[in-house]
Amino acid sequence: MKNLNTLLAGVFLAVALPFGALVISSQVQLGSLGRAPAEEGGPLFPSREPGLAIQGRAVYVSLGCVSCHTQQVRPAGQGSDIARGYGVRPSVARDYSQQKQVLLGDRRLGPDLANYGVRAKELAAVHEAIKHQGAFEFLYAGDKKQVASERAIALAAYLQSLRQDYSSPEAKLKQ
Amino acid sequence: MTQENRSGRPQGRPPEGDSRLTRTEAQLRGPFLLFFVSAVIWLLAASVLGVIAALQQGSLAAGPFRGCELLTYGHVAAAQRNLFVYGWGFNAFFALNLWLLSQLGRFELRNGWLATLGGAVWNLALTYGVIQIFAGNQGGFGLLEFPREVGPVLAVAFLLAGFWPIVAFARRPTGHTFASQWFVVGASFAFPLTYLLAQLLVLWQPASGVVQAIAHSWFVSNLLLLWFGASALAAVYYFLPKVLGRTISGYYLAPVGFWTFFLFASWTGPSALIGAPVPLWLQSVGVVAGAMLMVPVIVTAINFHGTLSSESGWSRAWNDTTLRFVSFGAVAFTLFGALNAIFGFRGYNAVVRFTSFASGQEQLLTYAFATMVIFGAAYFVLPRLTGSLWPSAKLVHVHFWAAALGAVATAVALLVGGYENGKQLADASVSLAQVAKAGSAWNMVLTVSAVLLLVGHVAFALNAFGMILKSSAPASAGRHD
Repeated sequence: MKNLNTLLAGVFLAVALPFGALVISSQVQLGSLGRAPAEEGGPLFPSREPGLAIQGRAVYVSLGCVSCHTQQVRPAGQGSDIARGYGVRPSVARDYSQQKQVLLGDRRLGPDLANYGVRAKELAAVHEAIKHQGAFEFLYAGDKKQVASERAIALAAYLQSLRQDYSSPEAKLKQ
Repeated sequence: MTQENRSGRPQGRPPEGDSRLTRTEAQLRGPFLLFFVSAVIWLLAASVLGVIAALQQGSLAAGPFRGCELLTYGHVAAAQRNLFVYGWGFNAFFALNLWLLSQLGRFELRNGWLATLGGAVWNLALTYGVIQIFAGNQGGFGLLEFPREVGPVLAVAFLLAGFWPIVAFARRPTGHTFASQWFVVGASFAFPLTYLLAQLLVLWQPASGVVQAIAHSWFVSNLLLLWFGASALAAVYYFLPKVLGRTISGYYLAPVGFWTFFLFASWTGPSALIGAPVPLWLQSVGVVAGAMLMVPVIVTAINFHGTLSSESGWSRAWNDTTLRFVSFGAVAFTLFGALNAIFGFRGYNAVVRFTSFASGQEQLLTYAFATMVIFGAAYFVLPRLTGSLWPSAKLVHVHFWAAALGAVATAVALLVGGYENGKQLADASVSLAQVAKAGSAWNMVLTVSAVLLLVGHVAFALNAFGMILKSSAPASAGRHD
C-alpha cells in the first residue's frame, strides 16, 4: 500500500481485466453477428434499414426519446413484456446487428418500442403517437398541427421500421 | 503496513494538522476555490433542471412546458444528470481530493496554474456539451450524451485538474499511507482510463450492436463506484477519525475493503442489463459482482459505524456540522450496498427493471452518500482556506434539513415508487394508463423533494459564496487567520 506502482498496477488490472472480460470478449462473441436466415435458404433477417429510418433514428436520439422508451423484449418469466404485446419473442443480440446506434434504454415511462412497426398499422396513428397528446406538437406545422415536418416524417419511418417479429437462428418463432 | 506504527501515531488515524492555514493549504487555495465555486454553480443549475424534470415526468401531456422543444423531458433529464455528475461531482471531488492528499502528504502544489487551467477547460467543455444537449445534439447513452468532440477535451482537462492527488501521493515525505490516500489515488487513476476506453468503444469506433450497451454499462458502473464511491469513501475515512479525535475501529480491515472494492466494482456493470439481449453469462457476472461488493460494504460499515458507535460517537457526530453530513453519507453507502446486492438477483431485478428504481440506487450513491459527504467536507475545509466563519448558522440548518429530507424523500419515492410501479408493470392486465395514474402520487413527492433540494442548495451557496467573498475582500487577510 505504500508503493505507488503497486497501487496503480492493482487499480489498472482492476479496471482493465473487466474491460477485457466483459467488453472485448463480448465483442468477440457477438461482433460478427450479421443478417441470417432462420432456416437454410430462408430470407435474411434483420432487414436492412431504409435510409429514412436511419435519419429518423438521429431524430429519436436527439430528442432524448430513449429516456422514456426502451427497445427490448425480455424473455417470458421476466416481467410481462410478451404478455403486454411488446413482442412475440424475446429480443436477441442479432436483432440489433444492423443498427449503428443501439438504443436499448433502461426506463419505461412510455411503452416499449422494439416492435412498434408491427403494432402501428397506419401512418396517421404513428403521427398521433409522436405528438404525445400535444407535448411534441413542435414537430408539426399548420394551424391544426397536421403537417408533419421532415423530422416527424423521418421519425415515423424509423418507428415503423422497428420490428423483431421474424424467426432468427437464436429465437425461432413457434409455428 | 508494519511501518505504520513507527511514525508514532496510532493506526487508523490521519495525521494531525495545524489548525491555521498551512503552506500546503495556501498553495492550493486558488485551484480549490475555482473547483469548488464552479461545482456549486453547476449544482444550482442541476437542481433547477431537477425541478423542471420532475414536473415534466409527472405529466407529459399537461405539464407546464408542453410543446416546448427545448424543455422536453429527454433534454432536461439528460442535461440534469450530466451537470450533476460532471459539473458538481467532478469539480467538487477535484477540490476535495486535492485538498485531502495535500494534507495527508504535506504536498505543496507548485504548479497550481496547471490545475486551474484544467478546471477552466473542464468547465468550458461542460458548458459547450450541455448547450449541445439542449440544441438537440445529444447522444443516446446515459452520461455519454455530450457530442463526441467533448470527450477528449474532458479527458485532457481531467489529467490537468484531477491528476494532482497522484503526484501528491508520489511525493509524500513519509512512508506511511492512510486509507483515504489509496481510495483517492485509485479514483484519480481509474476514471481517466475508463473514460478513454468507453469513449473509444461507444462514440469514436462504435462496437457492433449490443456490445455498445455492454461497454456503456461497464462505463457507468465505473464512473459511479470508482469515482463517486471511492472519492467519497476517502473523505469519510479522513473526516470521521479527524473530527472525532479517535482511530477508525477495525482499521486493519481497511486494505481488504479497498482492494475488494476496486476488484469487484468494475465487474458490476452488466447487472444493469438483466433481461437484455446480451449473453446470459455476462448478466450473471454482474449479479455475482454486485453480491461480492458486499465485502467492501461490510468492511466500510465496520470501520465507519464501529467508529461512530463507540464512546457516544453518534451524538457527537450529530452535534458537529461536518460529521452530521458525513455520517448521514456513511449510512447511505451501507444502504446502497445492501440494495445493490439484493436487487441484482434476477427475480427481484425483473420487478424493478425499467422503473425509477435504478435512479433511486444511483441517487443513494451520488447524492445521499457522495454529495452529503462533500457538503460535510466543505464545512470543514472552507473555513480553513478562507480564514473566516460561516456567515449564517441558520442557513447551515436550512441546508442540512432541506438536503437530508430531500435526499430521503427522493430515495423513497424512486425506490418504493419504482417497486410499486414495477409490480404493476409486471401484471399485464393493468393498463399503462392505470400504471401512470398510480404513480402520480410518487411524482408529487419527487417534485416536492426536488424543490426541497433546490432550497437546501441555495442556502448552502449563499453561505459559501458569502464566506468566500468576505475572505477575498482584503487580499491577504485570510492568509494569516
